[in-house]
Formats: sequence, C-alpha cells, structure tokens
Amino acid sequence: MRRIFTIARWELRKTKSSFSLKTRFLSFIILILIGMTSFFAAQSGLHINDNIYRVAVTDASIARVLQSEAKFEVHVAEDAGSLFENEGFDILINGAKIYYRDTDKSISALDAIDKTIKRYDEARLLSYNDLNNTFPVWITIKNIAREQAFQTPSINTLPQIEKSNEKKSSAAQQVIEKIPEKTAGNTPSIKEITEIKKVSLISGQSLATPSHFDPPVPFKSVVLSFIFIFPIYFIAQFFSSSIMDERIKRKGELLLVSPLNSYEIVLGKLLPYLLGSMALVAIMTLKLGGSPLIILIMLPVSLMFLSTSFLGAIIARSFKELSFVLIFLSVFLSGYIFFPAMFANIHSISIISPITLVVRLLENEAVSVSDYMFSTTPLYLLSILIFIFGIFIYREEDLFTQKSIKEKLLDSIQEFIKRVPFPLFFLSIALLPLVFSIQLMLIVLMFNFPIRIGIFFFIIVAAFIEEIIKSVGIYTVFSRKMADVTTVNALKFAILSGLGFFAGEKLLLLVVVASIAGSAFGSVMGIGLLVFPLILHVTSTASSSLAIRYLGHREYLACVVIASMVHAAYNLYLVRSVVFG
Amino acid sequence: MVNSRVIVKKEIGSLLNEKTLLLAIIVQLLIASFSSMIVIGLASFFDPSSLSKYDSPRAEVGIVGQGELVQFIKDSQVNPHYYTDIVSARSDFDSNRIDAIVVIPKEDAGGNELINLVIYLPKSDIRGTFVTLQLKKPLEEYESYVRDIRGARIGFEPIRLYVDDMPGKTSTYFEFIYGILIPLLVFTPVFISGGLIIDMLTEEYERKTMDLLLVSPVSFSQIVNGKMITAIIIVPAQAFLWLLLLRLNGVIVYNIGFILLLCGIIAAIVVILGAMIAVKYKKRMISQYLYSLVLILMFLAGYIFTNSPFNLVTRLSADSIGAEVLVYCGGYAASAIVLYAGMIRFQISGSD
Repeated sequence: MRRIFTIARWELRKTKSSFSLKTRFLSFIILILIGMTSFFAAQSGLHINDNIYRVAVTDASIARVLQSEAKFEVHVAEDAGSLFENEGFDILINGAKIYYRDTDKSISALDAIDKTIKRYDEARLLSYNDLNNTFPVWITIKNIAREQAFQTPSINTLPQIEKSNEKKSSAAQQVIEKIPEKTAGNTPSIKEITEIKKVSLISGQSLATPSHFDPPVPFKSVVLSFIFIFPIYFIAQFFSSSIMDERIKRKGELLLVSPLNSYEIVLGKLLPYLLGSMALVAIMTLKLGGSPLIILIMLPVSLMFLSTSFLGAIIARSFKELSFVLIFLSVFLSGYIFFPAMFANIHSISIISPITLVVRLLENEAVSVSDYMFSTTPLYLLSILIFIFGIFIYREEDLFTQKSIKEKLLDSIQEFIKRVPFPLFFLSIALLPLVFSIQLMLIVLMFNFPIRIGIFFFIIVAAFIEEIIKSVGIYTVFSRKMADVTTVNALKFAILSGLGFFAGEKLLLLVVVASIAGSAFGSVMGIGLLVFPLILHVTSTASSSLAIRYLGHREYLACVVIASMVHAAYNLYLVRSVVFG
Repeated sequence: MVNSRVIVKKEIGSLLNEKTLLLAIIVQLLIASFSSMIVIGLASFFDPSSLSKYDSPRAEVGIVGQGELVQFIKDSQVNPHYYTDIVSARSDFDSNRIDAIVVIPKEDAGGNELINLVIYLPKSDIRGTFVTLQLKKPLEEYESYVRDIRGARIGFEPIRLYVDDMPGKTSTYFEFIYGILIPLLVFTPVFISGGLIIDMLTEEYERKTMDLLLVSPVSFSQIVNGKMITAIIIVPAQAFLWLLLLRLNGVIVYNIGFILLLCGIIAAIVVILGAMIAVKYKKRMISQYLYSLVLILMFLAGYIFTNSPFNLVTRLSADSIGAEVLVYCGGYAASAIVLYAGMIRFQISGSD
C-alpha cells in the first residue's frame, strides 16, 4: 500500500508542475468567459433556429405578432403572394388566411406559427391581471406510484423518425408486443427489482394550465447532470496524457525496472486522478445542493472513464491515435449513460444508466440500493476488467514498442490465459460485460433503421460480437502457439468457452438483464430458454474453433463469420415472426 | 509550398495508416444515432399528434364528477369510465384498470371562480406519458371554450388566422434535424481537426523529432502550414460524407457547396487556434486541456447570436438563405486571416 501512495504522490507532483501559474491564470479566464457566455445564453435564449422560416404577410399587425419569435424572417408586402410564388417563401398570410406548401419545411412553419400565436395570446392574457377570466382552468397533477403492469409498452416500440410506411411499422409493433406475453412468466420483471423501494405514495404534485400539461421529461435535470461529467472528462484526459507522455519520453522505463509490481504503479498513478475527479464531483454536488449520494453514483462513472483512458493510452501508437480512440470511447460512453436518462420519468428501464439516478436525486426522488446495484454493476465490472487487462500489458515490451493495437490486445489476452485457471471458461465470463454494453448500444443504433431491418441487423451484428468474444481466446491460444493445433483441442476449447459464455450470460441475467428480457431484442440476446442457448453457444464456438484449426489462424475473420452465421441463423429462427412475419 | 506539400502527404498517409479516420466516422455515426433517438423520444413525448399517427392504445381514464369537460373528453381519444367517488376510482387505478383519474369540480364556464381539476397519474410509467398526451387535447379545447365565454367579459379577442386543412404535424422533428443535428454533424469534424493539429504538433515536440525536421530543408512555418492544411482539408471531406449519408436517409440538405465552404473556413479558424496553443505550450496535456476549454467557449458562443456558424448552416441546409451567406463567409474568412497573421508574428517573436 505504501508504495502505491508514493507513486500517487509523484504523479500528483508531476501533473501539478506542468501547470504553470500562467496556464492556471489563462484557464481561469477562459472559465469565466464560459460562465459569462452561458449566463448570456440563459438570459437571451439560444439562437438555434433564427430566421429559419421565411414568411410573407400582407397585414403589418400580424407581422408584429410573428416577429415576437426569432424563427421567422417576416416580409410585409402588398404583393406578398408573388414572394410566396416566386421567391420560395415558406408561408403566405394573405389577410387572415394562411397558405402553405406541401413540404416538410412549410408544414412545420405552419405549426411554428400556431405555437407562436398561442404564446402571444397567452402573454396578452397575462397582462390583463385577471386570472379568473384569462386562465380559468387549472390542473393539479398528482403522480402516484403504483405497481406497474407487466406489459408496459416497451421503449423499443417507439415510432421511427423517418416517414416509413405507417402500416408496416405499426404491424411490426403489434408483433413485438406479443413476445413479452410468452416470456413474461418466467423472467423476473423490472418491477420486482425496482418496486422494492419504499417511496412515499404521493411524491410529485404540480400545478399547470392545460397548455402546459406535458409529460414529465426531466430535461433540465439531464442538462444539469451533464455538469457532473465535465470534470471527469478533463481528469480522464490528464490521466491518459500523463501515461502516454511517459511512454513517448520513455520516462516510465525506470519505474518498470524498480521492484514495484505493475499493478502498484498503475494503481498509484490512478489514485490522484480518481480522488481528484471525485473531489470535483463532491464540490459540485455541494454547490448545487444535491444529495451526497450523487458522489457515490458518479464513482463507477469516473472509474469507467479513467479505465478507458488508461487502456487507450496504453494501446495507442501516437497522440493522434490516442485522441481518436478516446473521442470514440467517450462518445460511446456518454451515449450509454445519457441516452437512458432522457427517459428517467418515463420508463423504469432508464435506470440502466447511473445518470438516471442522479436525475432522480436532483428531482428529489428516492434511490434504493437495488437501483444502485442495477445501474452501476455493469460499469464497475467493465472498468475493473479494463484495468486488469491493461495492467497485463503494462510492461516494457508493450509500452515502448510500436506494436499495433490488435497485437497489444492479444498480448493482454495471452497474459490472462497464462495466469488464470480454466482460462477459456473464465475469459468468456470476464468479457461478458463488454458484450452486454456493446449490445445495449447496438439497440440504440438500430433505431436508425425501420424496425424489421433493425432487428435483422442487430441479430447479425450481435452474433458477430458474441462469436468474436467466444473465439478470441481460442484464436490467441492457436496463433500464439500456446497449445497444439489439433481437432481435439479445438473441440475442447470450444466447449469450455461456450460453456463459460453460457454460464456468464445466465449470471448476468440474474443481476441485470431481466428488464429487457421481455422484448424481441432480449430474446436475441439469448435469454429465456436454457438448453438451446447452451447447445448454440457450444456449437457456434466449435464451428469457429474448428475453422481456425483447418483454415489456419490467418483466416480468423472468415472463421468468426462462419460461426456468426450459425449463431444468427438460430436467432433469426427464434424471432422469425417479427422479421419475416 | 512544395515543402508544405511533402508534409501534407506525410500526415495524410499516417492518418490513413492508423485508421484513425475510420474511428472518427464511427463517432459521427454514434452522434447521429443518439440525436435521432433523442428526437424520437422528445418529439413523440412532447407532441401528441406525432404519436397519434401510430395508433397508440386508447388510454383508460376514470372520471369523478360532472361538468362540461366530460363532453370534451368523450369526443377525444380516451376511453372514459365514470365513478361516483374518488375511492372506487383509486382502487381501479391501483389495480391498473385505469391509467388516470380526472376529478372535475363543480364550477362551470359561466361562473366566476377558477376551475380546479385534479388529475392522478401513475409515476415513472410510460402509460402516464401516453395518457397525458391524450388528455392534453380535450383539456386545451375545454380551456379555450371557457376562455371564449369569460374572455368576452374583459374584451379579449384572440388572434384568428385561417387555414384550409391543418396538417397537424409538429415542427419539432424539422427544427431538431436542421437546427441541431445537421450543424452538429457538420462541425464535429471541425472540432476533431482542432485536436488533431495539437496532436500532430505536440507529438513532434515530445518525441523531439521537431529538431530533426528543422535541420532538414523544411522551415518551421512550412511544417506547421503543412500540418494545418492536412487538418483543414479533411474537414469538408468528412462533412460531405455526412451530408451524403443524410441524403440517403431522406433528409434533403440544400446549398451543400456553401455549407462545405463555411465549415472549411471555420475549420481554418479552429485549427489555427489549436496550432497556436500547441506551438506555445508544446505539451499535449496542457494544450489539449486549454483547447477543450476554448472549444466549450466557442461552442456556447455559436448558439448565442444569429448568423453564427451553427445558425448559418441551419439556414443553408433548410434553404432559408442563399448566396447572401457569402457576406458572412467573408467575415469569418477575414477573422481566420487575422488569426493567421497573428500566429506568424507570434511565431517569430515566440518560438525559441
């Protein structure tokens, strides 16, 4: 332990010394400017859609109404009609009559005019200062917690953004909603996990007029929670820079030849950054008056960002590569943690993201221990996993050579296989959180496509990822000549790896996945049935391992494709009614 | 110039070699997916009409009390159930038979008192969202009915415009796609390039290869120029790819030429700033940190005034502005040139 602290102290001193007084002063000034700009933005509003619609009107009084909204570029003219006909204006208001075109832009301009006039009228009504005659209807909203029904419509069945054939997509939605009926019986519902918490029965009460009677989208809290991530982004950037810096200047070599273990060095270096980011989060929580629990919730998030920065800094060959790897990973991570938070008050599945818990705390709602476990376990597991694999290759031959990213990742897997008993069995289990997170992200990505094509793609890509994870250990063993390349070995490894993946999957099911088990996407993730997935995992892994045996490890990609085809065919058969029906 | 071209070639070669551009493209794909997901979420929750297209199931609503509102609810999308008291309604609500309870008070439109409705909704439940959306319309109709009666007392006359056949579509999708998504996609390569120039320059310093380069016949400013040109020219290329993908997705983007010109100019500004920071501080950690701060500042600033680069891209892509944009492009180009001039002076005085 003492060694770790020594390293931590060195690291802290090093980072501190690179920030000269001038730099600190400069960043202070920029921060103040940022503060001023955001204050200005909060006061004057965002000018995102300024002048996006062009409107021609004949009546100057209507022009004044529309000019209250910056979206409109309003032209008052006697011959407004010709502006509309010849100059490509979106809307013509002739007297009190509106003309529009049959284009998306013109139609949304019409809607924007409608909203603007409503707002204008409300503002005028307010000026009367006579509530009983101007805003006569008020609604007291009481939000009451109750047992949720089994078949809440899943988020997965939300409509597509593009103007796809309406009939088709609604037909697909009906089919999907049938699947939960079949599986709902034997998988624990999300309710059982989340509803254990004791919330006061009537917690949310608010008052609104009908035009402000809207669903509870916690937009403000989501934006606010973004502030908590900011310090973590920066600190993670420092961490990766520091590690990369040592690699490039070869300063780290001295530490490596010292009697210190590589895990001691890594933990020592990590410590100041982890504590620093948590301290910043704590300060912000106190300033914003949030619950101290927020700090605990941000811990796995911070670990996740730091672990990916660490791995990125170890595998990258140059600064450029590091930047791209980190941008990629942090966009991926941010999506994973922010997207579900948008649905914080709408669907319980949203607690898959820790930020949802932060949002709840900001909205003065309760968070239970089981909520915490549910949303943070995957992040804890994944970040620990990444650190372990990173520490495996925290050694001279990987840090100070220009090995490709792929070679370095294989190195770390090789180390895992060397050090762990029954390596192929446990490797599949260990990599499972990774598979799970990628698949969750894939579900999000697939929303870009119409639902049938989306599921189809998801099945194929998900199968491909699972097959890579299951066979990567076998590939490492064969390509690094850690065992004889024989048919018997290929089959033995396939069974071990397939078995491990199956066991891990079921374990994960118990902890986390129950909530999506009901949807079509869930059944593709191999949840629900027991015997068939086991056979499936072993068979598909066997096909890739035998392919490596006979085609040679140079054809690894082809081998994985073969296995994915076996895998995807089975899953496509399972959800055939959705995709082809 | 010839020497700068050598540097450009070398840098582009290493970008392609490291497959880093591929990652950048995946990043944009992710951003695009998140945004479209968020817009689906937001638009469908804020706007009933966009959901009603997809025939969501009729909400079951319990009604306690009588009054004019009942008629409006009857004519709407929801299925009303009538109860004589709140207790029996609550028991049906708790057992999921109904998804909302509307309690109607005695006051009516002709009276003088406020009409205080109480609505019970299920907490953190997507059904609550659906029922809210479906109830909004009859409630608004009821409000304007009451207002028509009471507003006359104080002489209020609402603005009335007429249109044949209101299409009932929301502006949310359109404004999100053109106002937020397209500018974000077009400018992401710009932000990335700013970081890229810092990496290119600081790497030469930290690996101490800058000294080696300087003994070759290439001058310092040629090295920096070559690297900056690389970072700038990949921006319109990436942006173009994005606009092409959007087109394939059915989003029509106008004025592509002007958009690429504008993002190229902004890329020049951002890359010059990045290069200035990198040449001054020479260390990646500090340079990237300061650049990120500057980036946040510029990003925020891009939203606070009309004719900002974001706003111009929005209007260009939606065909709300044409060749007039060249005036603003000229303005931004001028500031890029001023920055560049400043950088050259600062190099002469600042480099050691």
